[in-house]
Amino acid sequence: MELVLIQVLNGLQYGLLIFLAASGLTLVFGILGIINLSHGSFYMLGAYLAVTLTSYLGDVFLALIVGIPIAFLFGAVIEWLFIRHLYDRDHLQQVLLTFGLILIFNELQRILWGTRPLGVATPSYLEGSIRLTEVLSYPVYRVAVAAICVLLAVAMMLVIQRTRIGQMIRAGESNREMVEVLGIDSRLLFRFVFAAGVALAAAAGIIAAPVETVYPGIGERVLIISFVVVVIGGIGSIKGAFIGALLIGLADAFGKVFLPQFASFAVYALMAATLILRPGGLFGRV
Amino acid sequence: MSSVDHPQSAERSLIEAKGVNAYYGQSHILRNVSLHVRPNETVTLLGRNGMGKTTLLRMLMGLLRPRSGSVHLAGRDITGARPAVIARSGLAFVPEDRGVFPNLTVEENLTFAARTRASGRRPWTLARVYELFPRLAERRSHWGNQLSGGEQKMLAIGRALMTNPELILLDEATEGLAPKIRDEIWRVLRLISDAGIASIVVDKNLDDLFGLAHRHLILVKGEIVFDGSTAALRADQELIHRHLGV
Amino acid sequence: MLKLPSRSVVILLAALCAAALIVPYVTGPYAIKFVTRIMVIAIFVISLDFLIGITGLVSFGHATFFGIGAYVLYFVSPEADAANALIAFPLAMIVAGLCACIIGAVSVLTRGFYFIMVTLAFGQMFYSLFHDTRFAGGSDGAYINVKPAVTLAGASLLDLGGRLTFYHVCLVLLVGCYLMFLALARCPLGRVLQGIRHNEQRVAALGYNAYVFKLVAFAIAGSIAGLAGVLYATIDGYVTPDLFGWRESGVAIMMVVLGGTGTLYGPVLGAILYALIEEVLKTSSLVGPLAEHWSLGLGLFLIAAVLSAPRGIAGLLERRAATAAKQSTTAVPPSIKRVAARGKELEVQDLRKSFGGLVAVDNVTLRLAPNQVHGIIGPNGAGKTTFINLLSGALRPTAGQVRLDGEEIAGSPPHAIARRGLGRSYQRTNIFLPFTVRENCLLAAQARRPSPFRLTAGKHWAENNADIAYALAATGLSARAEDRAAHLSHGEQRQLEIAMLLASGARLLLLDEPLGGMGPEETARVTALLRELAADHTVVLIEHDMDAIFATSDTLTVLVGGRVLAQGTPDQIRRDAAVRQAYLGRFADQEPI
Repeated sequence: MELVLIQVLNGLQYGLLIFLAASGLTLVFGILGIINLSHGSFYMLGAYLAVTLTSYLGDVFLALIVGIPIAFLFGAVIEWLFIRHLYDRDHLQQVLLTFGLILIFNELQRILWGTRPLGVATPSYLEGSIRLTEVLSYPVYRVAVAAICVLLAVAMMLVIQRTRIGQMIRAGESNREMVEVLGIDSRLLFRFVFAAGVALAAAAGIIAAPVETVYPGIGERVLIISFVVVVIGGIGSIKGAFIGALLIGLADAFGKVFLPQFASFAVYALMAATLILRPGGLFGRV
Repeated sequence: MSSVDHPQSAERSLIEAKGVNAYYGQSHILRNVSLHVRPNETVTLLGRNGMGKTTLLRMLMGLLRPRSGSVHLAGRDITGARPAVIARSGLAFVPEDRGVFPNLTVEENLTFAARTRASGRRPWTLARVYELFPRLAERRSHWGNQLSGGEQKMLAIGRALMTNPELILLDEATEGLAPKIRDEIWRVLRLISDAGIASIVVDKNLDDLFGLAHRHLILVKGEIVFDGSTAALRADQELIHRHLGV
Repeated sequence: MLKLPSRSVVILLAALCAAALIVPYVTGPYAIKFVTRIMVIAIFVISLDFLIGITGLVSFGHATFFGIGAYVLYFVSPEADAANALIAFPLAMIVAGLCACIIGAVSVLTRGFYFIMVTLAFGQMFYSLFHDTRFAGGSDGAYINVKPAVTLAGASLLDLGGRLTFYHVCLVLLVGCYLMFLALARCPLGRVLQGIRHNEQRVAALGYNAYVFKLVAFAIAGSIAGLAGVLYATIDGYVTPDLFGWRESGVAIMMVVLGGTGTLYGPVLGAILYALIEEVLKTSSLVGPLAEHWSLGLGLFLIAAVLSAPRGIAGLLERRAATAAKQSTTAVPPSIKRVAARGKELEVQDLRKSFGGLVAVDNVTLRLAPNQVHGIIGPNGAGKTTFINLLSGALRPTAGQVRLDGEEIAGSPPHAIARRGLGRSYQRTNIFLPFTVRENCLLAAQARRPSPFRLTAGKHWAENNADIAYALAATGLSARAEDRAAHLSHGEQRQLEIAMLLASGARLLLLDEPLGGMGPEETARVTALLRELAADHTVVLIEHDMDAIFATSDTLTVLVGGRVLAQGTPDQIRRDAAVRQAYLGRFADQEPI
């Protein structure tokens, strides 16, 4: 029983983290129409930013506060340099160009941070565990991670539903042409959306850093999972990404316990099955 | 209303197109089109389906780049400019399918692109638009796709007004709408005209159009075959039936 | 349509072959292994180009079948003995091909981005199957202790452990695969696949079952990828789950695009280029301390290549024939001597289509007599295009019947309706732009026998040619037969649309605004053509050009709001008060001249 509870918690926490990373991807794909293979690299960027910033600032949450604007700016620059040329191109070229970005980012990471696995300390005031039952306790920091993800998710929802920029994003998703006709320069809107996607992925990387080792390959793992979540949830749907991420998180957590060798297999099988039954994802527009 | 116009007097025109040729791929849709609209003028664009009226409006709005020819807005060359730039220069477009954002509320649709303009005219505010369209006020927190066709048309017009334009392009003002709603739209268009905003209106109801506009353009297979006053058009029955009838 | 490579490219390829033959005698074992690896990868990426460049299926999981082929060798190789290559290699192809059939059956149901993701998923599934378990050595991989040998009846003919022997085997297989895929691409099957790449909807509307064709392409490509895999495993005698991974698939896509998608030889160049760049960037004697960071250079190179040369090396090599669009010369199509055939008759009964609450076509009933020109007119939004979509099978009716010469066709898929003799053209020109005029018609003519397993035109060659000749002559395009469709004038493209319908043998032609965007001369030409065609077809057209449609039609049907408002001869319609009202509004009460 306790085992199930722990796995549910783990699965939810992991799922929330994946949602944070995948939400950026679904926004970029839904609004900009770009397949961005380098999305995982931005998660990796966040993780390594956490390493550096925490060593300077002493606290991973301070690293989060400083890291998000850095990632946002970085995203805006990347969009301006490379991504904006892809808007009229076909999928193949998008795949290829962003594949090239992965290679560059991976190498830059290697140059700046090396290949040794690194770690980030959990903040001292969040060490320890919460007692759940007589024999079971759950790490406080993981609860904090889940809470932050939920907070950011709510913030995202508020921005999209209540702010002007959120209006533009929603409008851009349903009728890009009309947005231009009404006088709004969609180029800047796109730059913002891409930078926001990068910032979200980096934020996920930062807060996840204390609970996992930071090593060169983490970006790719997150990339594949993010794509799976986006496909299951439906391209462009934040709600779909949320539900998809939780499903994947739970499937992964339970898979690891009960069928450790087939956990990954199960995740991909889940995606393939979803696509066959609902070719546009759960909430996507086909 | 039916003042005699001289099509040649294109000075001081608000928008002017000269010799525009536009294509969709290989299809030559607009052939050597020249027209002008003066400030505060209401002009209609007539012609059967498939003759190029929508293409002409889209071209003026910057959604289609002419292969040759030029378009000037208040003296500035806007040929090939992006729609956002053209919109900010004072043009507004109400497309045939209305283009209402389905996932924004009525109020959000209206305030979406609200802009003011130093023009000496009373600005269009949310309150003023609600006054003009009480129906929209009633439904202000409904989603865009919950409105009927006629209400969406009103919403699209209101949204255009909120950008305080100099010139509105209206594609199919009343097509597919019930008679009562049509009458309301004509009333609104007259008010807009009185308020000093120029417009190019596409529609098929000649009687209503004669009551609204100063000048009429007829487009046949991408060419302008008539550009003159209401009186001149009314007098030429043969023209009307040849180009607009069956 | 895939052309044979130009002279300069053929020379290049021949030179490469010659170089390949010489290499083993002028270099050492490292170079031989290096080139062997390139050749095997080249086989792999040619098969991928058959999918991406010929059929238009962007697969991000092609390495799945590469890995399957490799692992087959592991499984059939005994512990301490050589496997028989004559068994192992074909077995790898068969197993990979079967897996491709199964995976393809599911994947090909999806399109575009989703197809990319499904194929990626299957690749990852195989990866995790072998990586996360202890299956075949798990993540460590497994060794093939003795390389396979070609044995026949117990006697060893070729020991593939020998570098030189294996090198030549791979070279022969590479050339063979390239020629095979080239032949496939140029045969009837390949023609349809290329049509699918450019315009799948039109291919289906011509009468082909696109799903089956795509599946066949997927299976063939997967099978050859399996061959590449088993060869690759032979090089090092080692297999690992990484062979299935998305990175392998990604690098393969890279090679295809760098070399030139859709050319079949381009990927070979791409594979060579990639391997060379990797070698160069890694060699510290050439780039100094930067050698450590070679993937940075590779990434920059990729980005630069995408932005500046999207068509890859092949694009740079092929000098593009600058064919300016020539204006058509003859105005009058020559009169055709042909046997007067009977056009098909169309009967529509209470046809209805609703989208949720909106009724687009409302209980339409009409009968269109054969061998006549029938016009359909009506204001915008009257449901005309929806009506045609219902007839051609692009939409399923909510209710009602449609009978073609008495046969019920309502609700059938487009390709089935097309095969019964109903051909349809589109509002926006919907031809195969990269194909020549003749190839467009050939694709249409071929559709009469739409089996995917036709590899040669065979005995139908003469028939096809006759159909095409007739179609081109009737529409006045004979002089333009070898020009690419993209270079035709707009009016000629619309005529080509009609020619394709004629070539496919359709006896009832549904034309959606065939005169759209035409000037007066072209309009006159096409309306004359339509009247001529009525002699042995039934012609149904939607048009807005009132003068033209009134002059051309034998009957007119007026659709307003999804309903039939009036039907009759042009004169009757012109005098009909309700029709005038619909077009002119209240102004209609004025007397016409």
